[in-house]
Amino acid sequence: MGKKRKHVETVPEIHKEQQVEQQVVEDRTKYDNQTHSGPTFRNKEKVLVTCSRRINFRYRHLMLNLVSLLPHCKKENKVESKAALNELVELRSCSSCLFFESRKETDLYLWMAKCPTGPSVKFLVNAVHTMEELKLTGNHLNNSRPLLTFSSSFGKDTHWKLLKEMITQIFGTPKDQRRTTPYYDHVFAFSIVDDRIWFRNYQISCPRTEAETIDQEGLKKMTLVEVGPRFCLNPIKIFGGSFGGQTLYENPFYVSPNQIRSSDKKQKAGKYTKKVKAKIRKKMQELSKPLEEDEFADTWED
Amino acid sequence: MAVHQKRAAVFVAEAENNADTESSDSELEFDEEDEIRLSEPSENAIYNRDGLLDKLEDISWPENVDWIHKLSLDVNQEQEVDANDDLARELVFYTQALEGTKEAFLKFQSVGCPFLTPAGYSGAMVKNDTHLEKVKDQLLAEKNRVEEAEERRKARENEKIAKEVEAQKLREKAKQEKEEKRSARQLQKERQESGLSGSEEDGDIGSADEDKSTFESDPSVGKAKDPTGKGKKEADKMRKNRDYRNSKHGLGRKKGMKKQSKTETTNDTIGGFKKSSFSKNKRRKA
Repeated sequence: MGKKRKHVETVPEIHKEQQVEQQVVEDRTKYDNQTHSGPTFRNKEKVLVTCSRRINFRYRHLMLNLVSLLPHCKKENKVESKAALNELVELRSCSSCLFFESRKETDLYLWMAKCPTGPSVKFLVNAVHTMEELKLTGNHLNNSRPLLTFSSSFGKDTHWKLLKEMITQIFGTPKDQRRTTPYYDHVFAFSIVDDRIWFRNYQISCPRTEAETIDQEGLKKMTLVEVGPRFCLNPIKIFGGSFGGQTLYENPFYVSPNQIRSSDKKQKAGKYTKKVKAKIRKKMQELSKPLEEDEFADTWED
Repeated sequence: MAVHQKRAAVFVAEAENNADTESSDSELEFDEEDEIRLSEPSENAIYNRDGLLDKLEDISWPENVDWIHKLSLDVNQEQEVDANDDLARELVFYTQALEGTKEAFLKFQSVGCPFLTPAGYSGAMVKNDTHLEKVKDQLLAEKNRVEEAEERRKARENEKIAKEVEAQKLREKAKQEKEEKRSARQLQKERQESGLSGSEEDGDIGSADEDKSTFESDPSVGKAKDPTGKGKKEADKMRKNRDYRNSKHGLGRKKGMKKQSKTETTNDTIGGFKKSSFSKNKRRKA
């Protein structure tokens, strides 16, 4: 049964799981006239970022890049197994988790989970470019809040909506985070192309004449420079619980990299058998359609 | 015949067996890099929409939260992009982000919050300075490379053009010279004609002279009927001929081949070439 939390609670129900709550703090349901939202809404999101053992250098750098992009995250050492993750997250009093799982030192799977009750998603990560690449020339303030842009295709289907909400909560920095700077100079772009989520991070650069304000002219001349990192997420499954639970969604187009590799090998292995088959086929042809007698076959025989 | 039929049957059976395994492979299509998409979605894909919606309601923030908390923007993206076409794809992402920021800016203005970093603000950046130095060096190096390539190409083209121009000039010069020569000859001819016509009273001698002179000085006879200047070339070629050179400087190198047994040398005396004045002189005198 999903527990639906209302935003106005006169008699709050206190459950154990809601102690690590991020939303309405029950004791302080004040009606603040200045803010537009009813009670004071405080985003207390904290993300735990970890990886598994035997991770590749490139994926490790990607993880470190993400750590630098999210000022509301806590980095944790490598974990041995997924089973202990839920407890670890609770121990560090975080409300979500980004877990980089690498298999066979080549495949990277990203788990995005809302702990302790929330849904979790498993992605396959491709097309990784880290911030250290020299072609990505932009730079932005450390610990500044990102703007999040989503393509309109996120509203087209239920699972995309859920993913959008999770991304907003995990990648969006809380407003009153201790470490954040009050300016906004970079923007994340999440788009859906080919049933995958593509991530890009751009720095906003705007030539300015005056100190504070930007007019319409400046707006037109605004450009974006890519900062990095870049990656592409292919959703595999969405689970109801954190790192497990009932499968709510399975991607019908997903083919695991293991299958790809095995099919490659089968194709290569089939070379010799194909040759043999071709020979047999040729013989069959010759037998089924015998050649006509050649009149001139023995002209040169002596 | 029976044996042949049996063999054919066996072959057919084998071919069929192998065809089955092939068809299963044909379901997979190759997409980009190592990724493959199934051409038909697998039958047993779970899609629990109600469950998903439940969870969505669970985790989502309340409705009336300020936009400033979320900072999320939706950008319309109608076009279908091919994932493999890098430039188009990146362009789509770029335009999406750009539109998003413009919207965000308007929202910020309406709320009254500061947007971009002010001009003099200096704070820690995500990439440190040493890295940025490397980036700058790389960019400069690439720019230099491109520029040098351009310069080299231009230099090559200029050379070509210069050569052509020179060739043209030479041709024109040659033409001019020919024209001058021809006009000079014409003048000569006219002068001679007019001169002859002036001295026509001399009678026969004059006519004989006229014939001779016209014959000799007629440019179209014998000498230069070549408007293209080929006669000069042929003269040059003749000079390079073997025979011409031989006539000038002797038979050249082949000194070693002088003594040979040929029909001409059969009567040379075996005993030696002591000249008996008697016989040789006889021949010479004859």
